[in-house]
Amino acid sequence: MEMKGLDYVVLNQGNAQLTELYRAHIGDWPKFFKMDTLSKAGFVASELLLKKIGERRCEGDEFIQNRAIVLFGSTASLCADRNYQETIQDKDNYYPSPALFVYTLPNIVTGEIAIRNHWRGETSFYVLEEPDAAQMAFHLACAFQDSVTESILAGWVDSRMNDDFQVFMTIIRKEDAADTERLAGQLQLIINDLNK
Amino acid sequence: MEEMILKLKQEIIEVLNLEDIKPEDIDNDAPLFGEGLGLDSIDALELIVLMEKNYGIKLQDPAKGKEIFKSINVMADYIQKNRTR
Repeated sequence: MEMKGLDYVVLNQGNAQLTELYRAHIGDWPKFFKMDTLSKAGFVASELLLKKIGERRCEGDEFIQNRAIVLFGSTASLCADRNYQETIQDKDNYYPSPALFVYTLPNIVTGEIAIRNHWRGETSFYVLEEPDAAQMAFHLACAFQDSVTESILAGWVDSRMNDDFQVFMTIIRKEDAADTERLAGQLQLIINDLNK
Repeated sequence: MEEMILKLKQEIIEVLNLEDIKPEDIDNDAPLFGEGLGLDSIDALELIVLMEKNYGIKLQDPAKGKEIFKSINVMADYIQKNRTR
């Protein structure tokens, strides 16, 4: 079966770029400024991807049940963990920040994207040592095994430090995952672009 | 009091990352939660931390926050009367 390549977005050039992209292309979601770098990177990449493919966003009470979100990364929420740790490091200046604490889980980024788009499908975040196309294709294929999921927002989102991140985001449709090897090949092409 | 209100607004903007809001955008009598600044429950917790960190006010009963965070004027008045630093 002839299948076209996956549409995708790659970003990896510093936190200032995320804010610039937000202001230039999104601008209607002030919660962006409260997010940690991992969520900002995932959020902006997902927004740019959805614009690129021209997908209409749900409004009001509409929601999409059959879109899952499956993301991968190597350092998970380590960056947010460090930022939070700083608020509790000094016993004489011990003021745990609730706003930083809420991001000390990597799957929060999947929630931010799901809330924005009214998607109510499955969400998950896997920790891999590095972007591994075969592993990712396997987990994505597994995510289609339920009776609901028709498409997945998938990607690699990683943030080692506040100003250092790497993200790609793509949409996988059920037919893309029917041949796991072929899907791995397509993901590898995106990973090559990510690592350039 | 005016100086205190301006300082408080600046602190709130900074701690809650209200990037696109300036002190003059915040109405002194408008509700901070709900329709006003659209703050959420995590923001409420951050405001409690702000009061403790910057003004030495430890809220023993978090439910009291609902009354204290009614508006900038109410919050500034409470801080003025209860601050320990």
